[in-house]
Amino acid sequence: MNAIGAVTRTQLADAIKQAERDDAVRVVVLTGSGRAFCSGADVTEMAPGAGMRTPEDVGNVLRNEYMPMLMRLRTMPKPVIAAMNGPAVGIGASYALACDIRIATPEAYILEAFINIGLAPDGGVSWLLPRLAGTGIAYEMFFTGKPLQAADAHRLGVINRIVPAERLEDEVRDLANQLASQPRQAVAAAKRAVIHALTSTYEEAMEFESYLQEAQAASPEFAEGVQNFLARRAKK
Amino acid sequence: MIAAMGYEHILVEIEPPIATVTLNRPKVLNALSPAVIAEVSAALAELDADDSVRAVVLTGGAKVFAAGADIQDMADQGPVDQLLRDQTGRWAPLAGFKKPLIAAVNGYALGGGCEVALMCDLIVAGDTARFGQPEINLGIIPGAGGTQRWPRSAGKYVAMEVMLTGATLTAQRAYELGIANKVVPTEMTIGIAKRIARELAAKPPLAVRLAKEAVLKAFEGPLSEGLAVERKSFYFLFATEDQKEGMHAFLEKRKGVFKGR
Repeated sequence: MNAIGAVTRTQLADAIKQAERDDAVRVVVLTGSGRAFCSGADVTEMAPGAGMRTPEDVGNVLRNEYMPMLMRLRTMPKPVIAAMNGPAVGIGASYALACDIRIATPEAYILEAFINIGLAPDGGVSWLLPRLAGTGIAYEMFFTGKPLQAADAHRLGVINRIVPAERLEDEVRDLANQLASQPRQAVAAAKRAVIHALTSTYEEAMEFESYLQEAQAASPEFAEGVQNFLARRAKK
Repeated sequence: MIAAMGYEHILVEIEPPIATVTLNRPKVLNALSPAVIAEVSAALAELDADDSVRAVVLTGGAKVFAAGADIQDMADQGPVDQLLRDQTGRWAPLAGFKKPLIAAVNGYALGGGCEVALMCDLIVAGDTARFGQPEINLGIIPGAGGTQRWPRSAGKYVAMEVMLTGATLTAQRAYELGIANKVVPTEMTIGIAKRIARELAAKPPLAVRLAKEAVLKAFEGPLSEGLAVERKSFYFLFATEDQKEGMHAFLEKRKGVFKGR
């Protein structure tokens, strides 16, 4: 069920880093194979005597391993799409929610299962989920450990689109290709603007936008965009 | 634009009424060697004396501001070597620069690089900027004013955190602490710093100079001394042509033109 243990963590961190650095990569898709998107952290690792020996180890793994890769995923200057082929649980939900866009099958759900084993939310969901679903829904999920089903998540805007399982790969590929063909710097700028805005005031956000827009206005993408726009209008 | 000649490690562009000094050793992340410090100091001394220049931008370019000193070169030195070389004392022309000095910081401003930024009057940070004093990890402490300027700017507890942990602060955190005046998209940092420099260059130069002097006084000595400096500067400015021009322009609803007299 794609539980994340030490090995997966390292490999995933490397893959995310590589996806960010590789200039040939314009869009990143994160998905799970089989029935689940990701069932969360490998709990056996957290059992007494296993990989994480002390409570501090739990915190260290979050700070030193999950944090950098989730931050990279959320802030890399290219779109990141979660193709949610199934349940996203615990840290799995953290990955899904850290992506820019979520497309899910009807069988998918988001589950913050921490409470069920006496833990509190981690992996950034205390920040992400209230922003995506609203505080009330986030609290309910954290307090009850009950899943947010795909249909509800879609209604709340947490999931962008629901598509049948057999269509998921094609739909996601179509969207990824579409985003890959957009003006690259403008797409990155949109992402930078939103990331900046989420930690600033309305006024600061508008000022930051205005500078980003100056950089865009000076780019070949804008020159080309205007030219194409005028050519299209002339044809009409 | 005039590019000043004779420098090997820095670029000096003079676009009156502003100038830009760029640390230009990207291969070593603009490490601050004695030669770099000497060149920056020499350039600033020249720019302070150049009447066509009224404000200066100091930057490390698009990727990095300055990632500290040249460790390779310091590793096996003794205290006497350090004292005789007086690497940190040689920043005096920067700290004593009389015109507005604006740091345009992209990427790392670490160790000496961070201290240099803190010696400037305004800091424009690109969203990739990182500020820090990692000296502690090398068994030393900041030596170019860091231990004194951090607490005066960000307060004791932030200063302790920065000094004792060696951890870096993001541009956003620096902004919240009042260390950075603005956080801007990285590709715009230098352009915006230049824009601010031009804005300041259009202000009455004597008032700008005395305002800067008075603010810097706040970091030294008791309040009464600072207030005395402020008051005397305030009275003195009524002896300048720029004050007459400024106030009459205001009354006549036009923009003042200042000569620095």
